[in-house]
Amino acid sequence: MKRLRQFPTLHIDTNETRSLKYRGKSLQGFAGDTVATALYANGIRIFSRSLKYHRPRGLYNLDGESSNTCMEVDGVPNVRTENTLLKDGMVVKAQNVKGSVDHDLMAFIDKLDWLMPAGFYYKTMHKPAAVWPVAMKAIRKAAGVGTISADYKVKGRYDEIFLTADVCVIGGGAAGMMAALTAAESGVRVIVLESRPHLGGCWDYRTGAYKENKPLFARARELAGQVENTSNIRVFKQTSMVGAYNNNLITAFQVGKSNDAFTERYVEIRSKSVVVATGCIERPLIFENNERPGVMQVACAHRLARSYGLLPGEAAVFSIGHDLGLEAALDLFDLGLKIRCVADIREDGHDAGLLAALAERKIPVLKGWVAAKAHGCKQVTKVTLATLDGTVKRHIPCDLLVASAGHTPVNGPLILAQTNIAYDNHSGFFLPKKLPEKMFSAGWMTGRSHPQAIEASGQVAGLKALAAIGVTDKTAVFAAEKEAAALPGIDRGCKLVTAPVKGRKSFICFDEDTTIKNIKQAIDMGFDVPELIKRFTSAGTGPGQGGIPGHNLPLFVSKYTASASKPMPTAVRPPLVPTLLATYAGAHHHMFKRTPLHASQKKGGGIFRNIGVWQRARYFSSDFDCKDEILNVRNNVGLLDSSTLGKFRIFGPDALKALQRLYVSDMSKLKQGRIKYSAMCNDDGCVIDDGIVIKRGDNDYYVTTSSGRAGNTVEWFRYHTRYDGWQYHMVNLTDAMGVINISGPNARKVLKKIADADISNNAFPFAGYREFTVKNTIPVRAMRLGFVGELSFELHVPSSYMQSVWDMLMAAGAEFNIKNFGLEAQNVLRMEKGHIILGQESEQRTNLLDLGLGFLWDRKKTAAKTVGAVALRQAENDPGRFKLVGIRMQDDARAPRDGALIVDTHVRGYVATARKSFTTGEAVGMALVESQLSKPGSRLEIYEDECNEIRLQARVVPMPFYDPDGQRMKM
Amino acid sequence: MALTLTCPICGKRNGYEFRYGGEDKGSRPDEKGLSPADWCDYVHMNTCTAGVQKEWWFHRDGCGAWFSTYRNTLSNLEVDRPEDST
Ligand SMILES: [Zn+2]
Repeated sequence: MKRLRQFPTLHIDTNETRSLKYRGKSLQGFAGDTVATALYANGIRIFSRSLKYHRPRGLYNLDGESSNTCMEVDGVPNVRTENTLLKDGMVVKAQNVKGSVDHDLMAFIDKLDWLMPAGFYYKTMHKPAAVWPVAMKAIRKAAGVGTISADYKVKGRYDEIFLTADVCVIGGGAAGMMAALTAAESGVRVIVLESRPHLGGCWDYRTGAYKENKPLFARARELAGQVENTSNIRVFKQTSMVGAYNNNLITAFQVGKSNDAFTERYVEIRSKSVVVATGCIERPLIFENNERPGVMQVACAHRLARSYGLLPGEAAVFSIGHDLGLEAALDLFDLGLKIRCVADIREDGHDAGLLAALAERKIPVLKGWVAAKAHGCKQVTKVTLATLDGTVKRHIPCDLLVASAGHTPVNGPLILAQTNIAYDNHSGFFLPKKLPEKMFSAGWMTGRSHPQAIEASGQVAGLKALAAIGVTDKTAVFAAEKEAAALPGIDRGCKLVTAPVKGRKSFICFDEDTTIKNIKQAIDMGFDVPELIKRFTSAGTGPGQGGIPGHNLPLFVSKYTASASKPMPTAVRPPLVPTLLATYAGAHHHMFKRTPLHASQKKGGGIFRNIGVWQRARYFSSDFDCKDEILNVRNNVGLLDSSTLGKFRIFGPDALKALQRLYVSDMSKLKQGRIKYSAMCNDDGCVIDDGIVIKRGDNDYYVTTSSGRAGNTVEWFRYHTRYDGWQYHMVNLTDAMGVINISGPNARKVLKKIADADISNNAFPFAGYREFTVKNTIPVRAMRLGFVGELSFELHVPSSYMQSVWDMLMAAGAEFNIKNFGLEAQNVLRMEKGHIILGQESEQRTNLLDLGLGFLWDRKKTAAKTVGAVALRQAENDPGRFKLVGIRMQDDARAPRDGALIVDTHVRGYVATARKSFTTGEAVGMALVESQLSKPGSRLEIYEDECNEIRLQARVVPMPFYDPDGQRMKM
Repeated sequence: MALTLTCPICGKRNGYEFRYGGEDKGSRPDEKGLSPADWCDYVHMNTCTAGVQKEWWFHRDGCGAWFSTYRNTLSNLEVDRPEDST
């Protein structure tokens, strides 16, 4: 198709071509084209097949109000091609088609519509119940809106941006731009959201007069220039508002341009006040075959020519109900479109100048006439026009039928912000009854269409937005309102919904193939409220989000039921326009922390796993049973990076009080320079953390928490002391300090070589705490703990020195063949000793007593109001609790998996950790079982997924499994 | 998500930054003579006010302060301290 060129209104750049692939052919478009306009330029008229009846569908609207032009683009289904900018190399496919979109093998279904009345799915296919699974498959195959392959990976970058503004203007048309400019004059920060790629709204392409010798499009460009050049206005184009929440929180989605760093991004704006100026869309005219390719709305035809240089057809019939239709007919005629006639629903109220201009061009205007039927199988070939009462008819051949009943305000943003709207008899619009606080509307959506009135309403809204946030006073608003009131007010709107037809093929909703006949059926069955009829017939539930039927449905229901009450609108919910889930998901933030030894652990062969917020070395060989690592600790010496432990300094006059509140033990008995192992419970007595507490001075403590709890420890302490007003500080040293654990019978021999202190068993016995230096420089906090059950030193070292100390230990241990061990080896080693890991040996309901840690609890310190103490007292005599026990498998070759169930006729417990112990040669573990099963010798049956119905046998045995007297860790 | 809260240290911030800490039920009761039922009420029972209530919030992604504030549970908006509250 030849393009019209050299208009000031064109949005395509004919010097820059863009190619796309469609049905095996490479087609050409231009920069600025949408996918659909490029296809249209290449003669494509059928874009899709409809959901139920497989009817051909074409370009009807250019703002994605229907699914007509939904296609698969680059593997993504349901792309609204009419408002998706063409990018070079796009691959486009039609969807919901068997065969081709031009010759759809399923098209016969259109003749079977009588089989599918309203509510067809609800009323059939469920008796007998066995029918449904079969029918469902067939229906889903026939009716669909594109498919996505299961292994499809979304390409592109999805981002998010969180903004604040003083005034947020939704809609970059004339009214919105005036509001923005007015508000910006005061210096406040203004944001403008515009869903199209350019500002201007409907003035962008209109040639009607703004003032003498100045067409509307020229004024739109003038305003757009001012807005773009105002430094305190930030313009977001291709940004559709999708949600509004209280506090004036606005959410939107922005589609990136080719040079943007994002494909799409989520936009969230907190604005002090909001101006909604979203204008109007056209209210579709309903007649037989009103969605046949070749039928399109006024703005669609007009924009095709003015914005994309495409004459939409050769010979057109117009069937319209408003002056914009006359204006478009006139302009398109002047651009070369043959116009057979213009049928106008209105008998009077036309713009005299437009009528004169049409008469001058000998274009017949039929007042009180309307299109009743479009003819032609795949494209319009002829139109039947009728008088409004349907008594007189006329047939006119044409290839384009421009049809539009009237306009309807884009109220979605207001409704999402909890505005009640009501039908207005004069305009035929749903208009707000009362706007929410600090939200104002302006422009065409208020019912005005006169250019000066539109601009004045924008100005008033801008001033009101400023007054609402105290930047200007009411007098400025009153003055502007007075001026605006002198301008033409709200237009009278056309109310006609349907041509005089029965409506078997008159579609009120294109996306769901809902006809006027379906709506009548629903009403005849007793549905009387639009909201319910919408549900029952699915009208307005498709990708167009009610853009096509949103206004017509309530009007039609009101008319057909001859209801005395006003039409009632149906609800609107976010997102207002279809949105990719990828955009909601936003950017992938693969965030994790690395310990100071990460690099050397990696070099040492560490195999890492994400554990909580950390990346940790879990194994040091591909033997995930870790035999060598374990035996090396038992028999020689190993090094473990434990830097992820939570580490805190708690100090200040009330530090001890805080410890007494949170820890179950009596911390007042802890002496300077000594360690105490203890636990913290929640108010239900359930254990939430364990660790050690070291007293380093009066009211000055160093405590450790488990790795997973470190992030919550400050919150936890502060929460449970929030009423007390105690003076204490907590410093999270988790990242400032690293931890090296050196364990095994040779540990002392290695450490001795680098420590500046006597670390003999006498000088530094088990459970002791010492502070010393390494090489006279590096301060080390050392403790002798027995988690893995061997002679063991835990060294807390400033993070910046961690690598040095590690390297020194490695060098010192070389003669003993010192080796790394990882988390899994530690897990087995401590399990053999019966030492617990919270979260593994415990779950949410496990209390201190269940774990056998009751000895930690000091029940005499009631004055401290220790968290969990009251609940523990109550739980003490509760026989219905689980107990942690040691278990040994009958078959030493097979340990059950962690979490396996202990069962008889019902579930009696579960396995916490179980492994084959290389140290003892037995398959052992720990389990939480009902107290009746907790006595040593009790037989347990364990159920596992792969046990082939044969349960594993085990019995309860005493713990620990290794070195019960604890001789080895005290060496 | 539309909620904003006013941290006494950081000022008005996005609701995302905070963690809810429950209704303001007063300080922990004395352990001595406390019946299990009373204890359970203190820990687990809420008044679930439909309207303005005083409640605790933690500035998790900020300064780490616990503070109490008033919120209208019907509009999910922070409100000024009501006149009749003490
Ligand atoms: Zn704060």
